[in-house]
Amino acid sequence: MNQTRRFYSFRSSSTLVVFVTLVVVFSIFTPNHIFINERNIAALGKLFPDLGIIALGIGVLMICGEFDLSVGSVLPFCSFIFAQQMIADFSPFVSFFVSLLVGAILGLINGIITVKTKMPSFITTLGTLMFWRGILYVWSKMMPMSIRTFVPSGSPFQKLMAGNLNAYIPVQVIWFAIFAVILSILLHFHRFGNWIYSTGDNRDAAHAMGIRTDLVKIICFMIVGVLCGFSACMQSVRLGSFAATQGVGFEFKAISACVIGGTSLRGGIGSMTGIFLGALTIPIIDNGLILMRVPVFAISAFIGLATILFVLLNNYIERKTR
Amino acid sequence: MEYENRQNDDIVRMVNIEKWFGRVYALRGVDFHLKRGETVGLLGDNGAGKSTLIKILSGYHVADKGDIYFDGKKVVIRSPRDARRLGIETVYQEQALAPNLSISRNIFMGREPVKGFGIMDKKLMDEESMQALQNLGLRLRSPDLPVVTLSGGERQGVAIARAIHFKAKCVILDEPTVALSVKEVNEVLEFIREIQREGISSIFITHNLYHVYEIAERFVVMARGKKMTDVLKEDVTLDDLSELVIKSALVE
Repeated sequence: MNQTRRFYSFRSSSTLVVFVTLVVVFSIFTPNHIFINERNIAALGKLFPDLGIIALGIGVLMICGEFDLSVGSVLPFCSFIFAQQMIADFSPFVSFFVSLLVGAILGLINGIITVKTKMPSFITTLGTLMFWRGILYVWSKMMPMSIRTFVPSGSPFQKLMAGNLNAYIPVQVIWFAIFAVILSILLHFHRFGNWIYSTGDNRDAAHAMGIRTDLVKIICFMIVGVLCGFSACMQSVRLGSFAATQGVGFEFKAISACVIGGTSLRGGIGSMTGIFLGALTIPIIDNGLILMRVPVFAISAFIGLATILFVLLNNYIERKTR
Repeated sequence: MEYENRQNDDIVRMVNIEKWFGRVYALRGVDFHLKRGETVGLLGDNGAGKSTLIKILSGYHVADKGDIYFDGKKVVIRSPRDARRLGIETVYQEQALAPNLSISRNIFMGREPVKGFGIMDKKLMDEESMQALQNLGLRLRSPDLPVVTLSGGERQGVAIARAIHFKAKCVILDEPTVALSVKEVNEVLEFIREIQREGISSIFITHNLYHVYEIAERFVVMARGKKMTDVLKEDVTLDDLSELVIKSALVE
């Protein structure tokens, strides 16, 4: 009894329980147990980090007390810049850094608007979500652009962003793990992490203790922006092209992932372990349901349901353990 | 200047402080001083300007007019960072701690000791937090407990331990006994006595005359943005003080 209590006192433990349950359920109930088929897992490993990496950043931002809905547009915007740079004859590596830079700038803009206007970031980034998508549609004329010739299969950049470590482990999973480790060190061991938690938990106290809370928030917005830029390049290289519809719906899926990972919507509460598991859980729900022949269009309903049920579960556990 | 001559006595000296909010006068030329090692009770009704005055000292607001001398030198305090650098610590009622963070993370908030590359020295943080709390006579189970699990009195203890640990020269106690049980109030008053024993100056803002009368050595009463009274404890009884506060609020 005591041990179960201890286990549940960690916020991410309920996420772990849900995650393991889902894996078991899908493994048993998918036709021919195709869910645990290694080809399915390898395919999943190629796909989920696109969203997963962004969700890691969103988690950090949410702990800091802010949201970023604009990721759904910042991602394709960076992807467009990446493709354009290569078409303008820059090397993939240069284009990659330009894409990260653009991501950082778009994050900076979100941060500055939010901090200076003191508006909820839910509103400011809803605005930039629609704004950047509009600009992107006009600028790109919604035409897909192939980048296959610039990053052909087997080229160094392609291998780095969309290759395979071995037969089972795609390189995207490694990137996801690297970012999770970096952000985990930042949040839990670095002093900046303490500033992020303090800012999200009690902004007045953090301010009174001399922490530059505005700057902390802006940097968190920029972390999300850079991760969007990274994910944009990774996705474009995998797809071999830029498409104006990349990243649609990422904003809410990323927030769902963080909420399922036990991150509080009010800031100050959350852990990288939880966010990591949340970022794995959302794509698993997606994938498992598809394999169980649930119509694609119904999946959104399940993710919505899962998010609400999970918050309820978490609140319940919190009341029980306190 | 006469203020410069008296610098040895005073840790804080605020001269002719004025502050408007829009067209509303919050402070109209207030002089305030605090001697080394002294505890001053700052009293007054809601809206008397005592909050505004100490928020100017702690860097939340910037005065529109007037000078601040700290430790004998003229200073400009534009942010809480500036105030903290000088050694002014604030123990606010609800604003001092992050509830979901651990005790040690709260104590070192914004001043985390690092081992290199900005990585926090958690062992040192934990040890020193527990030591700081023990010096205050507060024994808590673990430095990893989130502050929200502590009682109201213990929370004030954490904030006060932080101020003492970082060798504050002036501690601002903003309503530290509000919404506490009798037992917790006594705990907090004991913590404040520890501040006095350490020789740290403090400003104790409160509505509760009984709490402040036990502890402070001098009382300043404010009303409508002005300083009305400035008396030493030996010149005033609790009843006099109570009358002074009520009268000041009613005059005009």
